[in-house]
Amino acid sequence: MKEQPVPERLQISPFLVFYLVMSMQIGIGVLGYQRIIAMDAGYDAWISILFAGACIHVIVWMIYKIGDTVGGDIVTAHKYVVGNFLGKALCFIFIGYFILYSLTVVRTFIEVIQVWMFPELSTFWFSFGFMILCVYIIFGGFRTVVGTAFFGLVLPAYLLLTFGWAIKFSNFYNLLPIWDHSIKELLTASYHMSLTFIGFEIILFFYPFIKEPKKSQKWAHLAVLTTTLIYTILAIITFAYFSEDQLAKQIWASLTMWKIVEMPFVERFEYIGIANWNLIILPNVCISIWIASRLIKRVFNIRQKVGVFFVVAAVLSVIHFLDTREKINMLNNYVGKMGFAFTFLYIPLLFAAVMIAKKLKKGKKK
Amino acid sequence: MKKLILLCLVLLLSGCVDKEILDDINIEVGVGYDLADDLKDKYRGTVLFQEFQPDKSVINRTFSGSGKLRQDLLLEVTKQSSEPVVTGGLKLAVFGPELSKKGIYDLVDSFQRDASIGARVFVATSEGKAEDMLNGEYGTRGNSTYIYNLIQHNIEHRDIPKTNLHILANDYYQEGKDPFLPRLKKLDDDKVEIAGISLFSKDREVEVLPVKDMFFFKLLVDKYSEGNFDVKLKKDELAAVKSLRSKHKIKITDHHASITINIEGIIREYTGDKLASEVVGAVQKNLEKKVEKECLRLLKQFQELGIDPIGLGQMKKSKHRNFDFKKWEDDYKTLSFDVKCNVTIEETGVIE
Repeated sequence: MKEQPVPERLQISPFLVFYLVMSMQIGIGVLGYQRIIAMDAGYDAWISILFAGACIHVIVWMIYKIGDTVGGDIVTAHKYVVGNFLGKALCFIFIGYFILYSLTVVRTFIEVIQVWMFPELSTFWFSFGFMILCVYIIFGGFRTVVGTAFFGLVLPAYLLLTFGWAIKFSNFYNLLPIWDHSIKELLTASYHMSLTFIGFEIILFFYPFIKEPKKSQKWAHLAVLTTTLIYTILAIITFAYFSEDQLAKQIWASLTMWKIVEMPFVERFEYIGIANWNLIILPNVCISIWIASRLIKRVFNIRQKVGVFFVVAAVLSVIHFLDTREKINMLNNYVGKMGFAFTFLYIPLLFAAVMIAKKLKKGKKK
Repeated sequence: MKKLILLCLVLLLSGCVDKEILDDINIEVGVGYDLADDLKDKYRGTVLFQEFQPDKSVINRTFSGSGKLRQDLLLEVTKQSSEPVVTGGLKLAVFGPELSKKGIYDLVDSFQRDASIGARVFVATSEGKAEDMLNGEYGTRGNSTYIYNLIQHNIEHRDIPKTNLHILANDYYQEGKDPFLPRLKKLDDDKVEIAGISLFSKDREVEVLPVKDMFFFKLLVDKYSEGNFDVKLKKDELAAVKSLRSKHKIKITDHHASITINIEGIIREYTGDKLASEVVGAVQKNLEKKVEKECLRLLKQFQELGIDPIGLGQMKKSKHRNFDFKKWEDDYKTLSFDVKCNVTIEETGVIE
């Protein structure tokens, strides 16, 4: 049952894992996570972000342990634990998960465009155009996808600076007193961070594509650390900028903060910001479609290109029916919950299973 | 072939959304609201547009309409306007006196909901109808720019505390703090002036602070980076203190709030014989006394009105866990104050 290894010319350098993980994590959640966590833990919620970030480091460590033990991706891990047939069957869920993930990202982004810029933008045609671009990128192979992730993170990085305008109108006393909420409230907020934080689990899917996987572990941890810090800082600025009841009304707090930006050459900065966000969304969608199609290839033994078309067709055929805020919000909630279940429940479970399987196999050899 | 298809798609898909060409739309730059005369309608709104002429001059055009919602007004105005109306360039919103007393939040909420309206819009109240205010001919760059700049430089250099749409909404939603807005007055067909500060309780105007109190009000709620104040000494001696910088510190214990105000400044003008160091000392002392007295009076006045524009409640909340705002409302009524002011005169100009 030996799998053929990924040829070296298709593999990526370990440090690129940093860009992959970070660009997958930062997507649509960051546009409005502040309100969601502040609902539970008020203005102490930044503590919850740090806590959630710390938990993710443990999960990342587990992912690398799994990958290292079985020497492959999640399909290999499944086969290692429950055998060929059942292992493949389990992967079905993840195909669905990543299709849903890309659907959520594209639809939520289109909603943002519709609310903030062009109400008459056609959902279908925009996603159609977007998908053509994604298919084009994915057909270039995994390395092209990684390249998109690199640029999708580096080019729009300047957007972080634009939140500096808000600091001038901020009152950091809003954050005081610290620890005004119970541990339970803080933990609920951490849980609600999941949609914003998920994305790091992709390591489990492209593990065989990393040249020296062990060397990449530190980059994965660094990526998670950076994302955590960015989220925390942005949350603190947001909390200082809005009063608590005011934030409760902002669906996209990060975008609303751009309303205060003042530049001599542009009246409304949101237009530039949202247009730039397209670049941040692109690797999100590309990576998740790539993973879904790769899983399809691994499970059904068909060409990956067929898988890509299948995923894109699935997304395009559903996207038109998600037309109201409630439906989109529901979709976001579901994906957030699935992501939480996958990363914080399933991965530790798989980790334990792999460890037990390893012990048993060792015992057999003796 | 592939590239050709992509190119075609790029060209075709770019026509998917509506274009808005600057010359073919009316950009709403200022808006004024009054209570409607007819009880059936709620508001009477006036929308101000700028029309740029080829010789760079600006024509002010206003349209008025009545309705129950802000969108009704826009609809009414669109009926009269030859080009479609867009709200993305709004810079100024003025509320008439009756409306301010009745509550303005419904309208402010609709500004916030509108994605195309920025957070730096100046919101102000007016003495006299907002409609008349927008109907003047101020300056050469258009009414909206004129009033916007008027408020802007008064925030930077004079006595209006920092304000805009965001700060208004922020204060409104903040428990333990009440909003305030600058108040404008139309003097003439080509003149507008700042006429004080409107103090709000939630979203209702309850009191207007006169211009002479604005200096002390700003000391309490904001900080000066470049202020200006005249100090009276005995007889006819006057000294102008300029380049004022100020900061305030508030400490609240259970039933007492002590406020420390630090002021640094330069004497620019003096109408006595000689500006000796005793005189500088006297200027410092007189200014300190004056600030302490007036600020205390203002604090007492706010307490009587039951409003808290300084945000003492918010300040106290940040020091106490599980803060109870209900209890604070009672506590505030019996709160005692003291104001301590320290003035440092750094320079006395280039001559002695």
